Amino acid sequence: MALNNSLLGWRRLVIDVYNDYNYYLDLAVPPGGPTTLVFFTNKPRKRNIEALKTVLRNAPISSRNQMVKDAALNVVMQVLLSMKSSQIEEAVNALDRDHLDILMKYIYRGFETPSEGSSGQLLAWHEKVHAVAGVGCIVRVLTDKKRV
Amino acid sequence: MTKNALREERIELLRALRLSTEIAKHLLSATLRPYLSAVRSTLEAAMCLENFSSQVVERHNKPEVEVRTSKELLLNPVVISRNEKEKVLIEASINSVRISISIKQADEIEKILCHKFMRFMMMRAENFVVLRRKPVEGYDISFLITNFHTEAMYKHKLVDFVIHFMEEIDKEISEMKLAVNARARVCAEEFLKRVCRLTFPSSVLLLNFIVFLVLKP
Repeated sequence: MALNNSLLGWRRLVIDVYNDYNYYLDLAVPPGGPTTLVFFTNKPRKRNIEALKTVLRNAPISSRNQMVKDAALNVVMQVLLSMKSSQIEEAVNALDRDHLDILMKYIYRGFETPSEGSSGQLLAWHEKVHAVAGVGCIVRVLTDKKRV
Repeated sequence: MTKNALREERIELLRALRLSTEIAKHLLSATLRPYLSAVRSTLEAAMCLENFSSQVVERHNKPEVEVRTSKELLLNPVVISRNEKEKVLIEASINSVRISISIKQADEIEKILCHKFMRFMMMRAENFVVLRRKPVEGYDISFLITNFHTEAMYKHKLVDFVIHFMEEIDKEISEMKLAVNARARVCAEEFLKRVCRLTFPSSVLLLNFIVFLVLKP
């Protein structure tokens, strides 16, 4: 009973590497650049909600560059922490399903690096987003391979 | 008569101490409620488990979050933090969830108490069923909940248990700390009484002064 070991080579394949989205090229300018520009012009006019929407729309989900993702995280954190508690509910109601999912992903990433007072604000955000989007939002954060 | 007055004074001071810790807890509870509700909702999302036999070894059934051989069976690990010191790490997989808790330890005595208390419980992990014998690196205590646990017990009750545990641990550790301080104060007093040779009222005053200097409440 000879075993043809060449036919068992498939056991050593890591199938996740061959997923489609890993082949998207980062052609565009890293979102960290233009996003920060937009952010700084919006802020003086107190258009926090618009800044949040822009930042979530340009979130680098498909990017494989960790530095781009970290830069985007910093910008999102600035926006989230600068908004007052009263504005949070308004902002959450203005977002649609996909953006709420991306926002929840950023909230959880923000929890990983707690700074002075940031966790308290993020907990308030978490509560409001959970009230609107439900448990499904959290499940999508846990299961989605496209990490933020 | 002065002896009674001093004793009453001591009781007053202990009461004031207890009151101040309760007030501090009330102020802290501003983040406690949202923290616990965030952990609760994340646990509800993560605790969706089903039976899954091992893909690597036949006829074996292992908690995938512990074994970690197949990447497709693992979900993204998630952290929920209340501040820099307190956080919860939730790692989920298809048939098991690992919950690691980092408990608030403000000073040296709380660190020792927490470490001993957790060690006490982890040695009796079999009786706890869902407790892990060793905490995950960087945390104080870990739970491991598998699909067999969720089949035998109510899922919402398991989540309630973890949340209740997190609440009670902080209370118990601060109670233990108060007890330790009270006992230490009494011990030091009795010891110094034998050593000190002043007249009784002034000696008791001096003793109290020394004891309050040495033992920070």
